[in-house]
Amino acid sequence: MSPAEKVLLIPKIENGFVIDHIPTGTGIRILNLVRQHRELDTVVITLGLHCTSRRLGRKDLIKIQAAELPRRFLQHLSLVSPGVTVKRVRDFRVAEKVVLEAPELIDDLLGCPNPNCITNHERGSGTCFHLVDRETRTFRCNYCERHFGQAELGTTLKF
Amino acid sequence: MKRDLISVEDLSPAQIREFIDLAGRIEALPAAGRCRLLEGRLLGVLFYEPSTRTRLSFEAAMLRLGGRTIGFSEVAGTSVAKGESLADTIRTVEQYCDAIVIRHPREGAARLAAEVSRLPVINAGDGANQHPTQTLLDLYTLQHLFGRIDGLRIALVGDLKYSRTVHSLVHALARFAGVEFLFVSPESLRLPEYVRDAAERPVAARETTSLDEAVRTCDVVYMTRIQRERFPDPLEYEKVKDSYRLDRAALANAPAHLRVMHPLPRVTEIAPDVDATPHAAYFAQVGYGLAMRQAILSLLLGGLP
Repeated sequence: MSPAEKVLLIPKIENGFVIDHIPTGTGIRILNLVRQHRELDTVVITLGLHCTSRRLGRKDLIKIQAAELPRRFLQHLSLVSPGVTVKRVRDFRVAEKVVLEAPELIDDLLGCPNPNCITNHERGSGTCFHLVDRETRTFRCNYCERHFGQAELGTTLKF
Repeated sequence: MKRDLISVEDLSPAQIREFIDLAGRIEALPAAGRCRLLEGRLLGVLFYEPSTRTRLSFEAAMLRLGGRTIGFSEVAGTSVAKGESLADTIRTVEQYCDAIVIRHPREGAARLAAEVSRLPVINAGDGANQHPTQTLLDLYTLQHLFGRIDGLRIALVGDLKYSRTVHSLVHALARFAGVEFLFVSPESLRLPEYVRDAAERPVAARETTSLDEAVRTCDVVYMTRIQRERFPDPLEYEKVKDSYRLDRAALANAPAHLRVMHPLPRVTEIAPDVDATPHAAYFAQVGYGLAMRQAILSLLLGGLP
């Protein structure tokens, strides 16, 4: 497929954000994440699945025509799919881009998967997780001290 | 700044040593000097689940240092039973006393209490997570029995999966040079990977199901009770409840210096005929626990000798 044909399938956006290099199969999950953030309810979103990628072979991508992405959404995104690239587009050009990495600290963004953790029982208590191993993306709950992999934490997001 | 004792993982090797040394200094004090260290101070003892040893030990430690205690040993009859949050209970109790000891069935409860309170908070056990005062008293016991902790070969026997005593002890001992572990458990109660992974240094350890190997080759055999209350499935408990039983006959091949420890209460895992052998150290361990809890209270409440 030529670059020109690609533009036809997933049109360029004038202003907004492109979430790129999404591992194929994860795009729908990220779209669902977008839909959980009410601030993005009315913005135009384009989803591309199984797009060709020089780096990944195949990839998913999402274009969001919003002036800003909510900080909490980006934090959730870094948990659900670390390694994706977020590009800011201005006047059809990429103005800046960052590769999202697993955060050092997850502050009240998700619930603890341990059902016996006090944070799942105490009204109004927040949660906090620290990254203990970047390679395996393992986090430790500040309260119950259990260790959790990123995939496990990605299922307990708080909105 | 206030100081809490919530998790062994929060303690540096120097801080662990500080507690051990202080326990020794307090034990060496004449009773007349010891009983004034915390005179006029009040300890809140909040036990959200049953305990005999830990609660009595803290109360005895406080009373023997000249302080007093208030608190509850079960939630029935308290505002907790009416649905009061932990944070509200802590904010209320801290108006009455100078420090708080808490045992709670939920993991992380003591950490949350410490965040809420302006007073020193001591974790006396939070679910299956931490029991740092037990760990410190275990270390103090080892220091007493062997004159050192470095280089000991220690077998941990029984419920290595659910026992918070074991988890905390592994973390703490891994900070001492040359400590070797032998983990002895049924297959279904093996030490969780995350406990080993979280240790500060690589843990020198081997796993076995043989208690005999532990008795023959280790300096310490640390027995644990298979805890019925921690099993989600009662049938699983029935399968493993009597996995290990140490009796006098089982100690026939033990080296003379072997010591048997246990956090107590025991059920069937140590036969009464072991009590009279020179190997039994578990009741002495209770006594060292009193000294260690005196040291903890003394340090956190600022009543140093």
